[in-house]
Amino acid sequence: MALLQIAEPGQSPQPHQRRLAVGIDLGTTNSLVATLRSGVTAPLPDEQGQVILPSVVRYHADRVEVGHGARQAAASDPLNTIISVKRLMGRGLADVRQIGGQLPYRFVEGESQMPFIETVQGAKSPVEVSAEILRSLRQRAEQTLGGELVGAVITVPAYFDDAQRQATKDAARLAGLNVLRLLNEPTAAAVAYGLDRQAEGVVAIYDLGGGTFDISILRLTRGVFEVLATGGDTALGGDDFDHAVAGWILARSGASADLSPGDQRALLKIACDAKEQLSEVTAVELQYGGWQGVLTRNEFDALIKPLVARSLKACRRAVRDSGIEPAEVTAVVMVGGSTRVPYVRSTVGELFGLPPLTDIDPDQVVAIGAAIQAETLAGNNRDGDQLLLLDVIPLSLGLETMGGLMEKIIPRNTTIPVARAQDFTTYKDGQTAMMIHVLQGERELIADCRSLARFELRGIPPMVAGAAKIRVTFQVDADGLLSVSARELSAGVEASVQVKPSYGLTDGEIARMLEDSFRSAGSDKQARALREQQVDARRLLEAVDAALLADGERLLSAEEREAIDAQMEALRALLDSQDIAALEQQARRLTQITDAFAARRLDSTVKAALAGRRLNDIED
Amino acid sequence: MGSPCHFALFDLSPAFDLDLEQLAARYRELARQVHPDRFADASEQEQRQALERSANLNEAFQTLKSPTRRARYLLTLQGHEVPLEATVQDPEFLLQQMHWREELEDLQDSAYLDGVGAFKVRLRDAQASLNQQFAAVWQEQAQRETAERLVRRMQFLDKLSQEVRELEERLDD
Repeated sequence: MALLQIAEPGQSPQPHQRRLAVGIDLGTTNSLVATLRSGVTAPLPDEQGQVILPSVVRYHADRVEVGHGARQAAASDPLNTIISVKRLMGRGLADVRQIGGQLPYRFVEGESQMPFIETVQGAKSPVEVSAEILRSLRQRAEQTLGGELVGAVITVPAYFDDAQRQATKDAARLAGLNVLRLLNEPTAAAVAYGLDRQAEGVVAIYDLGGGTFDISILRLTRGVFEVLATGGDTALGGDDFDHAVAGWILARSGASADLSPGDQRALLKIACDAKEQLSEVTAVELQYGGWQGVLTRNEFDALIKPLVARSLKACRRAVRDSGIEPAEVTAVVMVGGSTRVPYVRSTVGELFGLPPLTDIDPDQVVAIGAAIQAETLAGNNRDGDQLLLLDVIPLSLGLETMGGLMEKIIPRNTTIPVARAQDFTTYKDGQTAMMIHVLQGERELIADCRSLARFELRGIPPMVAGAAKIRVTFQVDADGLLSVSARELSAGVEASVQVKPSYGLTDGEIARMLEDSFRSAGSDKQARALREQQVDARRLLEAVDAALLADGERLLSAEEREAIDAQMEALRALLDSQDIAALEQQARRLTQITDAFAARRLDSTVKAALAGRRLNDIED
Repeated sequence: MGSPCHFALFDLSPAFDLDLEQLAARYRELARQVHPDRFADASEQEQRQALERSANLNEAFQTLKSPTRRARYLLTLQGHEVPLEATVQDPEFLLQQMHWREELEDLQDSAYLDGVGAFKVRLRDAQASLNQQFAAVWQEQAQRETAERLVRRMQFLDKLSQEVRELEERLDD
């Protein structure tokens, strides 16, 4: 059960001051939104009482439909009904062609290399389709909770690469959501279980969803969740079980494999239903066209065996990567609807020699964990027992070097946030520019790695080959997103990029989509921008107020305090003005003037933490 | 300002012998203070600073946790950068390296998993012995060259254990 919150006498929590934050599980097949209400963290139901929102978006000529209704139209209107869009996130057209046999859509090329899907409402990118799902969940949450959300924690598969993460964040932005954090799905599940059980030890989280598979190994120590290793396959899930069954039906019935999109959807529906029934019974009767047959659970297990074997291999690798022995794993947690399949449960149980835990609904556990973390990040349990999640990057990050080889800068399973620099040099006399090609993956040849971005460092002073020193710095933030900068050390020439993935949207495309979404929402773009700026300014004022209250006396001189107060006053005076530019400028001034204060506060908490250990050792 | 010495960050004096449990406990405590999650609703510059400090802390922890990286860092602190590539002659170890490699290739050809297990145990023993040798000499000015040679040997064995992991992966099909 969730922990009950007890306030100090005289300090009862004031409900109207709570900052509304939610956790969102944006899944391949289903999505959910969860939050803490009356002391219980649970998914929020829609008006019909259903917590699950099928991740299906149907474009009508004049509106967009999301969820159950859309899913029912999957076979009758396959081209305008987008299912499993998560499999396309952060992917290029070439990747999509590879899995394309399974997808009925008409793809068109956009400004970027991202595949757009042709619908009755025009070409839609996977990011826009995902944004519709997020928007629907946001509306559900705001209606249920009766207020605007401060932000959301959105979960992503741990094995998502940088492009896929960036695409997810872009989708949230389009949906008007402030992303408090992108959280890895297995880590979220661990939070949901760990909180409940006050657990200690090493936990394996096996997460098999509709389209993605993740395995994470975590060490839990007094509220700290440290991810030791993660692994997986972003193209393996319950959908593949359906395709295996569908292939079996086609082979048995002798029907033509050349199906119309509608027929394909209908066949997959039969296959999916059969799969779900086989979790309860040992044989199902099937009908397809004029053909009738029986699929037994044993036959089904044989069909999915190679798929499950792929997941087990990833599990063994994650255990090796984490540097522990398999016997040290003290609990195995099952996450994702596909772990309802008995064969999956039994084989995973065998691998770890432990009965897998399934007591939290595998469809809900990720959203619940995300909601618990959202509560903390929104600042609602400032003094409570805060959890600390130490996550890792799932895939190595590096650069292309001579000969088409990948030079790793940050190896996989490195704890984030992380910053690491490496020096490179020129290979030709008088070379004045250098191409920086950023890659992600484990293989040595760049052709086998994922290309994340390319940018050029220009203006290197001409020198003999090997004399220039170019320092390339990689920084990965707590969302797992990468930014790269390069600098020539003798001349100080600098170039940096927030890595915009090769398969991401261009800024132009995002701007157009934002405009579109404002239009369809019927709101005025200008008014919205102003309101966003005001919300940001209020947030900043609140943050500085809180910091001053806590440490202003101790860490600031009278003059410093006065200067900060003056800038705060000036910002407050602008809160109701219509002048966006002035508001923005003043917010920046306040930010600048509190910079040193922020640094001192951090120093002081670090000192205090050390002092807590050894009282006599630290003095000012 | 420059970043503080990794040891100072944990309020420790530079040393090769470290209590890793204690290091991990302090790391967790410090991480709680500076992790960006604590600043998700704070101002932008606090978030940026938390990100930087958190990254520094993680880097320091990763460096001190690994004996090889810790050894290399200690020598760097004394003003001797040890190049990653072994360019200095070490004929005795070169011979040993060749033996290790040949054995690894044989294991690959025979796909003998138990043999890999035994190989790993020996590798670990060799690493432990190098660590002990380094601990004994790193502070002696006169033993500088020995210390550097040991670090390069440690680096080679780290690379070798990485290759063993990759071999295990290939055999796991």
